[in-house]
Amino acid sequence: MSEALLHLDAVSKVFPISGGESVQAVDHVTFDVEENRICVLLGPSGCGKSTILRMIAGLEAPSDGAVTLHGKPVIGPARDRGMVFQAYTSFDWLSVRRNVEFGMKVNGVPHAERRERAAHFIDLVGLTKFAEAYPSQLSGGMRQRVAIARTLANGPELLLMDEPFGALDAETRWHMQELMIDIARQENTTMVIVTHDIEEAIFLADKIIFLSSHPGRLKEVIVPEFKHGARIDDKEHIVQLPGYAELEQKIMRLMREEGSREEQ
Amino acid sequence: MPTPHQARHFLEIRKPVSRPQAILSAFGIWAVFFGIWSVAAHSGWVNALLVPPPDQVFATTWDLFASRGFASDVLISITRVLVSFAMACAVAIPLGVMMGTFPSVEAIFNPFVGAWRYLPAPSFIPILLMWFGTGEAPKLALLFIGVVFFLITLVMDHTKNVRKELIETALTLGASRQVTVMQVVFPAALPDIFTAMRQMLAMAWTYLVIAEIVASTTGIGAMMMRARRFLKTDEILSGIIVIGALGLFFDLAFGRLHRWLFPYRKETR
Ligand SMILES: Nc1ncnc2c1ncn2[C@@H]1O[C@H](COP(=O)(O)OP(=O)(O)O)[C@@H](O)[C@H]1O
Ligand SMILES: [Mg+2]
Repeated sequence: MSEALLHLDAVSKVFPISGGESVQAVDHVTFDVEENRICVLLGPSGCGKSTILRMIAGLEAPSDGAVTLHGKPVIGPARDRGMVFQAYTSFDWLSVRRNVEFGMKVNGVPHAERRERAAHFIDLVGLTKFAEAYPSQLSGGMRQRVAIARTLANGPELLLMDEPFGALDAETRWHMQELMIDIARQENTTMVIVTHDIEEAIFLADKIIFLSSHPGRLKEVIVPEFKHGARIDDKEHIVQLPGYAELEQKIMRLMREEGSREEQ
Repeated sequence: MPTPHQARHFLEIRKPVSRPQAILSAFGIWAVFFGIWSVAAHSGWVNALLVPPPDQVFATTWDLFASRGFASDVLISITRVLVSFAMACAVAIPLGVMMGTFPSVEAIFNPFVGAWRYLPAPSFIPILLMWFGTGEAPKLALLFIGVVFFLITLVMDHTKNVRKELIETALTLGASRQVTVMQVVFPAALPDIFTAMRQMLAMAWTYLVIAEIVASTTGIGAMMMRARRFLKTDEILSGIIVIGALGLFFDLAFGRLHRWLFPYRKETR
């Protein structure tokens, strides 16, 4: 068992809303993320997944509890926790290469090293031909790959992604998911990925944190045992493995329970 | 080739017109305008003293530049616009970006700037004349006041429109607040700020003419007021044409510059 890189200890988040009222988005959530693992936060829409991810990133402070990285409490955003959003975040005034170099530049990485690392990560996401292009010339999937390369090139300990492929068409999404498995293998990246797509969760996850809604509570930690600890990089292959269908059904049942609970 | 069942009507709802048709239409409307003007002035429908024919106005315009030193008036007017506009930008852009980025800064300045916007700049002319006398200062001050408060508000709004995710991306990449503002918020808002500058430059021309008509002995507006005293309607109309041409020129130049500076903006349109 690898050591926990990230630890959430009874983390809660209460948002004040208008009229002096407040809404509890996250309620005492505790889990670990081990080094070099892919952890997926899954749950119905509005269950607090983004809020949890934003607290890990330091973009939002927990109302209660603590987020710790290597045992040190997280205060504010920093380079050790890179984030990829669902919305496009390319810096339109910079070429792809300069987008990917951005984080390294503001962190004072020397020019030659910057160039080299940028070239490596642009190649990793398959955009070498477009290194000098501007984001507005790229498709949605390519822009998202720029965002991933930009975050990874900055050398974070943790890659955080909030429904990164949600805006992409089905085929592109599938390619991106396979790309993430490749990246995790080649770069030994620890990832926390938010999704509400069950298939995506099972395909990517070493561990699934399933959340229930209103308020967001940890419902179940699911380890896809049928993978036997291996990562399968072929989507067509994984759905045929024994155990896949059962797990998918189990998660669908959990989702449906949440849905019916909400209607009451 | 249009097939019979899709024959084009002249009035097609929101169908773009071809380039030749666009050019023909534009020239056509101006030809009609000058045609009516010309016929009205030459045929004596209107008093030719009050409405001189266009050919006379153009001849006068030429003569003003060629032999009566009008170029120096034009140059003075352009200088006033550009100097006061540069001063307004130097204040409005940094302040507007700060206000659009930091709600604490907005909370200080917005109640102030917001109120000034409702004061028509020309209402300051009498007091500006008392404070600054008759030199360049009151004219520059009027143009500055007329432009700066609107520009601050526009820059602030465009800065606020920079998407939160862009800022948060910079922060999670390890950028400091200062780097985030200078290297993400500002460049992201810049194309829109530039468009706001283009709009406000047109407004600066409006205030220039007011300043020169009311209180100046130099510049295009002053020339027009001199001409009025001697009933030189052709010179007044020349002044109007030159002001229009300059406004058009600066607007086109800004448009060009925008496309050149922000080529990535074109492709998303
Ligand atoms: N900034 C905020 N202010 C008030 N309420 C918020 C804010 N952010 C999220 N919420 C509320 O918290 C709950 C969880 O939201 P979110 O984390 O975005 O869910 P998810 O990402 O799982 O769809 C929702 O009910 C949402 O309305
Ligand atoms: Mg969300």
